[in-house]
Amino acid sequence: MREQSEIKDNIQNRDRIHVVMFFLSLIFMVLGIFILVWIVKIQTTYEVDSRVIGLFRPVEQKHVDHPVRGKILATDGRPMAISAPLYDLYMDCTVRKKDYAEDGKDSLERAWKAQARELARYLSLEFKDRSADEYATMILKGREKGSRYLRLQRNLDLSTIQRVKTFPLFKEGPYTGGIIVEEHEERIYPYDSLARRVIGYVKEQNRIGLESSFDTELHGTEGYEWRRVTDKKRWIRDLDSASVKVQNGNDIRTTLNVDFQDIADKALRAQINANEDIRAGICIIMEAKTGAIRAMVNLSRGATPQTVLWERENLALREVGEQGSVMKTVTLLSVVEDGFVKSLEQTIPTNNGLVPKYNQDIHILDYQRETGRRNISVMHGFEISSNYVFAYLAETYYGKNPQELFDHIYSYRLGEAFDFDITGLGKPVVNRPGTAGWSGTTLGTTAYGYGLSVTPLHVATFYNGIANKGRMMKPYLVESIEKDGKVIRKFVPSALNESICSPATADTVTRALRAVVNSGTATRLRSAKLPVCGKTGTARVVLTPEERGGSRDPYMDINGRKKNQGTFVGFFPADNPKYTILVTVYSYLSNKSFYGGTMPALAVKEIVDKIYALDSDWRPELRRTAHVPDMKEKKK
Amino acid sequence: MSLKTVWHAIRNTFKAIRNGEFLLRIRADKFYMHIMYLFLLMWMTILLSLQVDKTLSRVGDNKVELERLRIHHAEKEAALVKLHSASAAEIRLKQLGSEAALPNEPATVIKNK
Repeated sequence: MREQSEIKDNIQNRDRIHVVMFFLSLIFMVLGIFILVWIVKIQTTYEVDSRVIGLFRPVEQKHVDHPVRGKILATDGRPMAISAPLYDLYMDCTVRKKDYAEDGKDSLERAWKAQARELARYLSLEFKDRSADEYATMILKGREKGSRYLRLQRNLDLSTIQRVKTFPLFKEGPYTGGIIVEEHEERIYPYDSLARRVIGYVKEQNRIGLESSFDTELHGTEGYEWRRVTDKKRWIRDLDSASVKVQNGNDIRTTLNVDFQDIADKALRAQINANEDIRAGICIIMEAKTGAIRAMVNLSRGATPQTVLWERENLALREVGEQGSVMKTVTLLSVVEDGFVKSLEQTIPTNNGLVPKYNQDIHILDYQRETGRRNISVMHGFEISSNYVFAYLAETYYGKNPQELFDHIYSYRLGEAFDFDITGLGKPVVNRPGTAGWSGTTLGTTAYGYGLSVTPLHVATFYNGIANKGRMMKPYLVESIEKDGKVIRKFVPSALNESICSPATADTVTRALRAVVNSGTATRLRSAKLPVCGKTGTARVVLTPEERGGSRDPYMDINGRKKNQGTFVGFFPADNPKYTILVTVYSYLSNKSFYGGTMPALAVKEIVDKIYALDSDWRPELRRTAHVPDMKEKKK
Repeated sequence: MSLKTVWHAIRNTFKAIRNGEFLLRIRADKFYMHIMYLFLLMWMTILLSLQVDKTLSRVGDNKVELERLRIHHAEKEAALVKLHSASAAEIRLKQLGSEAALPNEPATVIKNK
């Protein structure tokens, strides 16, 4: 019986458990189906109430750190371009206007206006561009008209904006004082226009100069961090979220010498300002041994002479043109190196200045008349810059194989746009045999400076090769890339051509270049404080069809006006060259002629004299001979 | 275990809590040190979290101050460098009525014997 009742109890218990388990599983099943349906609904149609989102979303903000753009430094470390924010100052003139318009708050409105007048007085004293009354009128009219964004000043620095924030009314803050300060990152160029075309800029799509070429180095990389709000309502970095540290841009140390740049800029300005017909001028100073560019000036006026001289375009790099007589040195170097001219005193017949097919050289007629001679030395022909002499040399020695001369031109790197730190170096135009520009007179005209179009930088690099005894250095502008004062990448000088000529040939040509200064076309440089070697060149500039106005002569308009360029290029001191220098001036359309031996030579003289006074290499030494006895009391 | 037993256990638990005997009933005195340690850990976690917040706030303030100093330094450097050129010096000297100008000759160096 007992066993039977136990069995019955067990069955009853099991049934109860089964029932409970059944209901539980039913509940879970219904719940599961409900969850599934809910998931499908959320994924397809459900939209969360925006008020609810705010409650569930963590209070976090992504904060982007913008990198500070690297500096561009001169060779001695002086900054030529720095980044710092500038501030624009605005005012919301309508602050609290509605509040004060309520009944019984007239006195508050009157007090606000009184403070605004006081603010106007402070603004007038600070900026001195308007009187206190004018400022007060601006602000109070703005309040009447409901101006919420009245511009007061632009591009203020940090210390000024901090002072402004302490002015009456503004010190009350934006909600009562109405002060609005907007920050924008700006590039500061402490030397204003000095070397601005070399330094360049990056403004959206407009990118030029070193700022553009080294943008990836200067820019740096952005960083970000997630920020959360604390119990005290402060925004702090959320350490649980990912972050990327900002990397500020690297600094670029250039080869530019600020003092040389300043001297060259000033000397060139003086020459250009003295003559209204001059449109532009450039100067390149290059270190002979390394090719480091110590100064590159690119001054030009606008369309009319009345416009201010400014670094508008990089003519030194981009102005591809016929350089005139300065290219006679190319021919001289070639004929001496090839052994066609054994000595500069070697003579050639004068032939009344006539080489068949070429224009007569009147300089030779003058020479014949003055000296009575019927022959002329190569040296003298170079001194007086005779076109006849160089056409004669080219036709005599390269007439049968003109390519030989052009091979020299290419080996002097005058036929290519070599790699340079700033993009945009002009590509030379060489009218060699077999090209469309080749004619029966191209060989001779190339020999005296026409027919071959190059940039001033090409010319300076070529002369630097002569100064460097035949080793043609690659011009460069950037010495190193630095991070927090440490050099992370260094650029070493390199050669474009290890030997364009033998040292003996370079010495011979140097002697000819010295003669040009001593008794040739550049005698204005004879009195320079350091002995200078060089060559002058005067070239006519090919006019555009618009400038020609129907004239058939490519160098002259219908009124007989021409565009000239005058150049002096050389190096100093003559015996142990340290710097190569090139100065070119470009004229507007004019009836006047401009020569390399005048304005450019005068500018070079001023530059050489000032460099002589500043450069430590030429400091005289004084030996201390006097002996000052030690007057200290001897200890007993 | 029957539902009745569970019900008894729940009722006893409430009674023990009401009488203040719950911890004694479950023999919590055996785990006193562990409970204290847990309490200490939680307290320290909260404290450290507050300290971290405080430090990060200061880091934020210092960053702002450093940025302000960087800007100030850049502006002053630019202003100083502007004066540090031969032309600027010449103009300033002229304004001051000085006869001093750039040297015409290099400076002489005095060397020991």
